[in-house]
Amino acid sequence: MALAMRAGPSQDEIRRQNLGALLRYVHVHGATSRAELTTALGLNRSTIGALTADLANAGLVSEGTPKETGRAGRPSLVVRPESARVYAYAYSVEVDRLRAARVGLGGEVLDRRELDRPRNLVAGEAAPLLAGAVKEMHHSVPPGSICVGAGVAVCGMVRREDGLVRLSPTTGWVDEPIGAALAAELGIDVPITVGNVADVAAYAEHARGVAAGCDNVIYLYGDVGVGAGIIAGGRRLTGHGGYSGEVGHMVVVRDGVRCDCGRRGCWETEIGEHGLLRAAGRCDARGRDALLGVFDAADRGDARAQTAVRQAGDWLGFGVANLVNIFNPEMVIFGGTMRDLYLAAAAQVRSRLNSNGLPACLEHVRLRTPLLGDDAALIGAAELAFERLLADPLDAG
Amino acid sequence: MSATPLLELRGIDKSFGPVQVLRDVAFTAYPGEVTALVGDNGAGKSTLVKCISGIYPTDGGEFHFDGRPVSINSPRDAAALGIEVVYQDLALCDNLDIVQNMFLGREKRSGIVLDEPTMEQMAAETLAGLSVRTVKSLRQHVASLSGGQRQTVAIAKAVLWNSRLVILDEPTAALGVAQTAQVLELVRRLADNGLAVVLISHNMNDVFAVSDRVAALYLGQMVAQVKTTDITHAQVVELITAGRSGNLGLADPGSNGTGAAPADTTPGAAR
Repeated sequence: MALAMRAGPSQDEIRRQNLGALLRYVHVHGATSRAELTTALGLNRSTIGALTADLANAGLVSEGTPKETGRAGRPSLVVRPESARVYAYAYSVEVDRLRAARVGLGGEVLDRRELDRPRNLVAGEAAPLLAGAVKEMHHSVPPGSICVGAGVAVCGMVRREDGLVRLSPTTGWVDEPIGAALAAELGIDVPITVGNVADVAAYAEHARGVAAGCDNVIYLYGDVGVGAGIIAGGRRLTGHGGYSGEVGHMVVVRDGVRCDCGRRGCWETEIGEHGLLRAAGRCDARGRDALLGVFDAADRGDARAQTAVRQAGDWLGFGVANLVNIFNPEMVIFGGTMRDLYLAAAAQVRSRLNSNGLPACLEHVRLRTPLLGDDAALIGAAELAFERLLADPLDAG
Repeated sequence: MSATPLLELRGIDKSFGPVQVLRDVAFTAYPGEVTALVGDNGAGKSTLVKCISGIYPTDGGEFHFDGRPVSINSPRDAAALGIEVVYQDLALCDNLDIVQNMFLGREKRSGIVLDEPTMEQMAAETLAGLSVRTVKSLRQHVASLSGGQRQTVAIAKAVLWNSRLVILDEPTAALGVAQTAQVLELVRRLADNGLAVVLISHNMNDVFAVSDRVAALYLGQMVAQVKTTDITHAQVVELITAGRSGNLGLADPGSNGTGAAPADTTPGAAR
């Protein structure tokens, strides 16, 4: 390998890197035969055998005979991630609910809990609730399992270096240390990583969802606010402090409606929950069910709801056109309430996008809804925790 | 997405007695893409689909499948090529369970008995391949399923047979918002899995939500087949109702009329 011929990396580093690459491959692609791994990783058979043995000894993968292939010759052994034994805890702090899950290596949700969240609940109050859910799940963990860490998805701006939630207008959080609060509450010494919900959902869909194989992706996540997880050139775009992707606060109307963030005319005032409910004449209603009620009413012929949905769809297309012109993505994914809005008003979204987007940028853009659905936040949060394991498989435990 | 169309029709004509229903129709469907077939009532959508699926013989025109000229004279020919149609009525049996419905008339056998384990496994794999999570048990009767779940079963039945082209006739008609959303996602996934999908729909939202191309029929003529990225809602509506929109659709039959071309003038299907 080219890597081995450079003077720099030592044998140990190369081995660590190869272990990580192999584990990452089965983590993302699931059970894979040794023969396929040889081709995919560009390593020879004996190296794959040795790496697999090391990972198996550490309890991270297992090997087995494949199902009948129907072909002649001895079948190649299949390497599987130990999904049931190696896991991470994932938390999702959303506007109206708190979710906790135990996610196995390979991205499988093994167990989950969901709680309602009053909208004024701060981090210090949310942490005990989440910790309680985790303690409940902990009882059913089989003995001998390995917990590699925990990840948290928050609908708010997250400082990359320490996971401090800087500003989350929709939950009312300002400078809330959710990671530290959870660590204190759980009393466990596993590392806790915090990320923005749109960022981690984009990551999950990129790794094992609808955007697998796409290197330039925008994942739009909507609830009360709207945020984007952006993957450019195969890498997550985080920005300097980790705050990038706040597309909901693109100002689209000069002196427009006041936004939760304090400014006026932000994009999310037109396409977010408040905007749609306001346009439908349901100012007092809140929450996802109220929002879905507007789509339902529009479908049944309520003229005011129809106008509201079409108008919001037009605004959605307006902003997406700007993003498509700036980032030239190959896929835009509509998650959270943006999924419902897109599917209910696709004609308006597309028409506006087609008229405002530059033809060259529109050429190959695909509009999609998430494959992982609402689980993307949990799987993506777990992905934050697995990332440490994959960087150094034998030393992260 | 793909350079060569999976299905290409050229110059299809079809008359019922004195009524010419399709005239000189060209139509293409690409693998990995959803092609929306739109048109007003009586524009010839259903007739075109029945010609493709071998129910009606055509009076003239060429079929190309996978680049090769083929002739489709019966539904059996169409099925042999991997063309499946999901009709609006779904053709499911309420008193049978999901597996029995999916294999109805094409049951797997082992010896003289039905091979239930294999059929159940194939059905489960097909549904899993489509990321269907709404169906709880494969052994529940179709009568107990919601409209969206029935549509899902009908679509899964169509893709079970290594089909390559799936034609869906108004799959979201009569469904509520949430179920429409699920079916649309399923339609999109079929194409993303590599199938060529033809979606017949009156609902512009459905068309714009999932299609890659829009083919518009107007009074038996294919007036335009364009990429969904190149067209707006208003233009599609004009093509459906007037056969023409700007420089798309039927050529202006002269400078005298502002309305649509009468159906009996020379067809000029401009791109």
